[in-house]
Amino acid sequence: MTGRRWLAIAATSVGVLGLGFALFSALGRQLASPTPDAEPPARVSDPTAAVGPRISATLYFVADDGVSLVGVAHDVPLGGTPVAQARALVEAQLATEPVPPLLRAVPKDVTVRGVFLPGRDDAYVDLDGAFVKGLPGGSHNELLAAYAIVSVLTTNLSPVARVQILIDGREVETLAGHVDLREPLRKNEGLIRTP
Amino acid sequence: MRRLFVLVCVAVASALAVATLPAQAPPPAPLTLLSAQGRRPLPVVMVNGGEYLSLDELAAALGLTVRDDRVTGATTVSLRARSAVLTPDRTVVSIQGRLVSLVAPPVRQDGRLLVTPEFVTRVLAVVVDQRVEYRRAGRLLVLGELRVPRVVTRGEFGANAAQITFEVSPATEATVTSAGGQITVTFAADAVDAAIPTVPAQGLLQAIRPADGTPTLTLVTGPRFASHRAATQAIDAGTSRLVIDLVAAGAESLTPSAPAPPSTLPTQAPPTAGAAGAPDPAALPFDPGGTGVRTVVIDPGHGGDANGTEGPGGILEKTVTLQVSRKVKALIESRLGLRVVMTRDDDRTLDQDARAAIANNNRADLFVSIHANAAVRPTVKGAEVYYLSVDRADLEARRRLQDPAQALPQLGGGTRAIELILWETAQLRHLEDSAGLAALVEAALRSRVAMSARPVQQAPFRVLVGANMPAVLVEIGYLSHPEEEKALASDAHQDRVALAIFEAITIFRERREKPAP
Repeated sequence: MTGRRWLAIAATSVGVLGLGFALFSALGRQLASPTPDAEPPARVSDPTAAVGPRISATLYFVADDGVSLVGVAHDVPLGGTPVAQARALVEAQLATEPVPPLLRAVPKDVTVRGVFLPGRDDAYVDLDGAFVKGLPGGSHNELLAAYAIVSVLTTNLSPVARVQILIDGREVETLAGHVDLREPLRKNEGLIRTP
Repeated sequence: MRRLFVLVCVAVASALAVATLPAQAPPPAPLTLLSAQGRRPLPVVMVNGGEYLSLDELAAALGLTVRDDRVTGATTVSLRARSAVLTPDRTVVSIQGRLVSLVAPPVRQDGRLLVTPEFVTRVLAVVVDQRVEYRRAGRLLVLGELRVPRVVTRGEFGANAAQITFEVSPATEATVTSAGGQITVTFAADAVDAAIPTVPAQGLLQAIRPADGTPTLTLVTGPRFASHRAATQAIDAGTSRLVIDLVAAGAESLTPSAPAPPSTLPTQAPPTAGAAGAPDPAALPFDPGGTGVRTVVIDPGHGGDANGTEGPGGILEKTVTLQVSRKVKALIESRLGLRVVMTRDDDRTLDQDARAAIANNNRADLFVSIHANAAVRPTVKGAEVYYLSVDRADLEARRRLQDPAQALPQLGGGTRAIELILWETAQLRHLEDSAGLAALVEAALRSRVAMSARPVQQAPFRVLVGANMPAVLVEIGYLSHPEEEKALASDAHQDRVALAIFEAITIFRERREKPAP
C-alpha cells in the first residue's frame, strides 16, 4: 500500500467521523429543546399523532375488573416547563382512548382550562364543566375519574404529591355528590391495580 | 391450757379470714323473657364479667329439646325440624348447617351449660323460628312481635318544681293518672324497655319504678309534692315525648313544660349552675341510663334535583335509597325501639353539610348513608361499604388545629364547658368505630346479597367528614348492572339489604353497650 492510499483512507475516516459528530450534535439539540410553555400543544384526539419530542408516561384507565385503575405506558409530548409538562399529562389522560378491555376513567371532550403548580408539592388542575356533566353518576365512577387525574400527575411529575381539581376555575365540594374535592387529594394506591 | 390456746388461735384466724373476704357483689338482676304467653324471669349468672343464662332454663321456657353428645362433647338444641349444635368454650355454632360466630362462647359451669343473651338472639331465635330481641336497658328478652317501646328518662330539679321527660320510640300513646301520692304512666304497649335512673335526693320525687308485667312506670312523689301537669309532644315521626311537671306545695305557678332545644354542640363537662360556679346537685340532670346507641340517623343519598345515578331501566338512585332507608328506619324502630332520624323523608335536595348537621344536632350515635352505585363496565355488581379515608399528614395537621374546650357564659350566671369540634375533624375521632361498623355491615350484607370485589373501602366521601359519630356509607349495589338494577327496585331485595343494615346496627349496639370480655 502506497503512502497516497494511506492518506486517502485517513481523510475519508476523518470525514465520516466529523459528519457523524455533526449529526449527533444536531439531534441532541433537537431532543433537548423544550416545547414553549406559552403555547402548549393543542389537544388532539390521539396524542400519538402529535409531532415533536415525547416522553414515556403512565396514564390510568379502568381495569378489566371494572373497579380498579391500571397504569399503562404511553407516549406524551415533552413539556418545556413543569407546568407545560403537567398540562400535557392531563391532556393526554383526558384524550387517550385505551386499548380494550380497558375503559376510560374520565369523561370525553373535556377541556383543560389551566394547570397550576404554586410550589411545594401541590398541583391544581382546572377543567371545564364537561368533566362533571360527562360523569354517569355513582361514587365509584367519581372516585375513578378523580383519582385518574390525581394519579397521572403524582406518578409522572415527581414533585407533585397532591392534586386539587377545579371546575370552571372554582373549587367544588364534589363532582357528583360523593368525593370531597375541597382539598387536594393524594394518590390512592388502594384503587390502583398492578397490571 | 394448750387446748384453750388452740381454740383462741382458730377463732382469731377465722375472724381474720372473714374480715379479709372480698365484699360480695350483689347478684345481677334476672332477665325477663317476654312473650305473648306472659313473662318469665331468667336468673343471670356472671362468668368472666359477662352475663350468662342457663340453657336448660331457656329450653324449658321456649319448649326446646336439649341433647348432649358425650362422645363429641357437643350439645344439640332442637325444636321440631330446626336445630343448632354448640360446643362449650367454642364461639362457632352450627345452625341448620350454617356456621355462626359468637362474641362469647357457651360455658359449662357446675354441670350446667350457660349461654349469653347474644346466643339467644342469634341462635335460639333461629331454632324457635321467631324473632328474639335483647333489650339491655329494660333487661328484657322479647319473643315474637310484641310492642315494646324504648323509654329514655331524664329529670331536672329546681327549688319548687321538677320536670321529668320520657322520650318514647317508637312514638307511643301514654295515659297519666294520679292517686295516693303516686303518678302512674301507662303506655299503649305490651311492655316498656326502660332504664330507670336513680333520682337525686330532694323533696318532690322519691323514685321512678317499673311495674312488673305491665307497660307502666310509677312516679313515687315526695313530701313537698302538691300537683302535676303532663304534656305530650311529637319530636318526629318515630319518637314522642311525655313531659311531667311536678310542683311543690306553696309554689305559685307551674314551670313551663317546653323542653330546652337540643344543644348543637356536645358538652364535654357537666354543666355548672349558680353565680358562684358551684355545682348544684339538684339541678343536674340525672343519668338517663346506658351509654350505647340511642339515636340512629339514616341518610338516603341524593334527592330532589340530584337524582344520583340512573340504571339502564330508568331506576333512579335517589328513589331506591329512600325506599331502603325507610325500611331500615321501620326495622330499627319496631324491633330495637331506638330513635331514628332520616335526613330526608321525601324527594328533596339536601347538601352534604346539612346531612351531617342533622346527625350532629340530633346527637346521633350512628350515621348510615345509603347510596346505589354505577360503573362504566356494566358487569360490575355487588354491595360495598365505605368509611372515611384521611391522609396521615393531614390527620396530624388537623389534630393540632383542634381546640380541646372553651368555657362559655351561661344564662343566669356561671359558665359551662363546651367542646368545640372543627367540622373537618369531627369524624377523625370515630374512625376506629366507623371501621368496625363497616365490617359489621359488610358481614351482614354478605350473608344476604352479592358483594363487590372490593367490599369494604375507605374514601374521602364528603358526607362522612362532618359526622361526629361512627359513620359509614353503604353502596347497596350497582344500578348500572341491568339485573342488579331490577333487584334493587324490588321489595324482596330491598328487605334483604335493610335487614342486613339493621342486623349490623343491632350487633354494634350490643357491643357498644357491653364490649366483649
